[in-house]
Amino acid sequence: MIKVAVSGINAVDNPGPGLGIIKGLKEGAIPVSVVGLAYDAMEPGVYLTDLIDRVYLMPYPSEGEAPFLNRLLYIQEKEGIEVVIPALDPELPLFIDLEPRLSELGVRSFLPTRKHFKLRAKDRLPVIAEATGLKTPATFAVSSYEELQRALSRLRFPVMVKGLFYRAFRAYNSTEALQYFQSISAEWGYPVIIQEIVEGEEMNVVGVGDGEGGHFGLLAIKKLWITSLGKIWTGVTVKHPGLLEAAEKFVRHFRWRGAFELETIVSGEDIYLIEINPRFPAWIYFAVGVGLNLPERLLRAALGEEPERDWEYPAGKLYIRFTDDLVTDLDLFQRMVTRGER
Amino acid sequence: MKLRRLAISEEGFIFDPETGNSYTVNETGLFILEKLRQDLSPEEIARLLSQEYEVSPEEARRDLEDFLEVLTRYGLWKEPR
Amino acid sequence: MKKPYQKPSIIKLQVGLLRDKKSGLLRMVRREIDGVPVKDLVRRFGSPLFVFSEKRLRDQFRYLRRLFESHYPRVELSWSYKTNYLDAICRIFHQEGASAEVVSDFEYHKARRLGVPGENIIFNGPYKPREILKQAVLEGARINVDSLDEILDLEEIARETGQKIRIGLRINMDTGIYPRWDRFGFNLESGEVLSVARRIAAGDRLEVAGLHCHQGTFILDPEAYARAAEKLLRLTRKLEEEFGWNIEYLDLGGGFPSRSRPKGLYLPPEVGIPPLSEYAERIARSLLLGTMARDYPLLILEIGRALVDEAGFLITTVRSAKRLADGRRAYVLDAGVNLLFTAFWYHFRIEIERELPGPPEPCILYGPLCMNIDVVEENAWLPPLPRGTHLILSPVGAYNLTQWMQFITYRPRVVLIGESGQVEVIREAETLEDVVHRERIPEHLR
Repeated sequence: MIKVAVSGINAVDNPGPGLGIIKGLKEGAIPVSVVGLAYDAMEPGVYLTDLIDRVYLMPYPSEGEAPFLNRLLYIQEKEGIEVVIPALDPELPLFIDLEPRLSELGVRSFLPTRKHFKLRAKDRLPVIAEATGLKTPATFAVSSYEELQRALSRLRFPVMVKGLFYRAFRAYNSTEALQYFQSISAEWGYPVIIQEIVEGEEMNVVGVGDGEGGHFGLLAIKKLWITSLGKIWTGVTVKHPGLLEAAEKFVRHFRWRGAFELETIVSGEDIYLIEINPRFPAWIYFAVGVGLNLPERLLRAALGEEPERDWEYPAGKLYIRFTDDLVTDLDLFQRMVTRGER
Repeated sequence: MKLRRLAISEEGFIFDPETGNSYTVNETGLFILEKLRQDLSPEEIARLLSQEYEVSPEEARRDLEDFLEVLTRYGLWKEPR
Repeated sequence: MKKPYQKPSIIKLQVGLLRDKKSGLLRMVRREIDGVPVKDLVRRFGSPLFVFSEKRLRDQFRYLRRLFESHYPRVELSWSYKTNYLDAICRIFHQEGASAEVVSDFEYHKARRLGVPGENIIFNGPYKPREILKQAVLEGARINVDSLDEILDLEEIARETGQKIRIGLRINMDTGIYPRWDRFGFNLESGEVLSVARRIAAGDRLEVAGLHCHQGTFILDPEAYARAAEKLLRLTRKLEEEFGWNIEYLDLGGGFPSRSRPKGLYLPPEVGIPPLSEYAERIARSLLLGTMARDYPLLILEIGRALVDEAGFLITTVRSAKRLADGRRAYVLDAGVNLLFTAFWYHFRIEIERELPGPPEPCILYGPLCMNIDVVEENAWLPPLPRGTHLILSPVGAYNLTQWMQFITYRPRVVLIGESGQVEVIREAETLEDVVHRERIPEHLR
């Protein structure tokens, strides 16, 4: 039994990837026991006792490295975690920084490097595009009203207004853009990203890089239906040669290590790179469902084993997200708020 | 008296079945709530606090008033007339 | 035996507040600074109180010098006076070998008064009054010129003194940093630098011996310095070829971050702010790549915040506790934005002098001023604080003691904890006499 800690168990309208990862791990050949890392006592994963054996509340990454590490040390002492799979952008820099210390304590992981993480900064997109043969929409990182105005004067409406870690809104005029700029910066700080909107098919690739230029599998999908928050609700697997080729180039060129997602817009022959996520996406279970258990492969890589590398998958498999209901007693909630764990 | 309807656990978790709100209290908060439920007066409770805990009667009185103020804002307590 | 007391508290549970509250507490207690108990400091010197650690000041200077010298052969670190020009602080850095970087007549006078010879002074700034400019010329200070009018002033001084004056040019350019500080110096991309250079060469009274730039403040991108260094090197070659000058130094200015926490930066400083070693590496790499061996220009860095910020603490005391209309706790401290000018842009680390029981709750820290803007921290998580509790705010060593205000009250003492643990006052608290002794009452108002 391998004890794995997974974060991002906030399966809400803007879901974290945690539950998808956990479902993948549970379906894999390695028996696992899962410890959930939550940032709020109301994250739905807290109440899913069949999937997640124990749950601990974590301090916000913004509170600093010391409290974060202290909490992990406490959890490690109680649980003896062997692998951690962080799934949220804001905590990744901390896990990357703490990787050597955690691995000394026996907590292994398979993460991108600090350099990789920096590539996700949206103003670095052109660098990646150049290396992979993709295009990028015009992107500006702005930190003030003046810079916002300057960026807007160079773009046509509508434009995307995006936070450094989360949030993305479509703004149709400068009043709206300013409004989103203010609400995003209040929550996620600066810079805020202003991006040209490219029309086309929204396609994404998920994969796990081996850190040496190869990978443990890729899957490309097209979003068929997205929610008002821009989250996938229905999707289909595709085999877009240009996109998969670009993803392989990306992994090769940057020697990517760990999970990643490339978000793109395909418009005829052109593929625009919109965003890079240095982690699994929330729809990662899609990969598991078509036979590419990427979470399990990542777990094996973290354990120092050699994961499978074949990645044959059929095009035309459908992904449907759906809502579910759960009724339970208040006592789990009570335990979480009084003890911070269950 | 609204306080009577509250479900209060020993760990300091409080559930209000009428409004659906939950609260947490610390040890001294719990102490005060219990005494309020026994209909003790604020003066009496402040005295008991300073008997039971390492705190001066003045500070206990000051803190109690603050605590009651918060209870009032949460709609859990009303000053008896 | 009575039980230990904690202030009673009740918190309504709602999403967003249901987070881990214990881990943060471990780091919140600071009983001492450099081994001297906070309580003793307050008892002896009062509250509020600025406290500086000599050990931290010296250690940080030595660290930075080693860091840059291990990457590049010729480095001069210059202490940026405006960051904190208390005599004792400046003395420490000068003892360690820093030159003085000044930006006004006052700062120039202060450096000279501390015994810094002219040739160890770097004179920057957009306005250098004629008189002090002449003194700087005569005393051999490095003068970085900001405008054409200043060049005219210097040519005139050269005529008066009959000497050829060696100057530095402040350059502004695109290094990918916003906002671009292009109001200072001469612009590179527009060609302004070259036309000014031609003007200087034609005048034949001045000679360009150095290039200077200063990109901004709290710059989080080490690469920006590399870009600046590259561009200045290219400009150096061009000026040397075209005008036959010998550019001896490249002054990359300051703007290096400390581990302070700017508002609007989500990640904690430990991971959100690049270590200074990255800056040193980037700068050195582009200088070494762009220079012929044995022909290394002197690299000057004007360091302020990165040297002094983390060596400074402010001890303040909770003077009253209140409840706001929305139910939040608020505390009135005896130090506000009058002493903590940087509170407008940075979140301070807030530590408590002793362990306090009770769960942390969201609260606001106000200063003592009668103004709504006097907020030290709008969103702190602290256990209930009894009146009289001392809080320790840090880092506060940079800019607060030069930009503080004498507004409605006196400015407090500043002490230095020496390397052997002795505590000395390096600035006395203000008195009524200090404030009024420059005032004059006209006869008819007497």
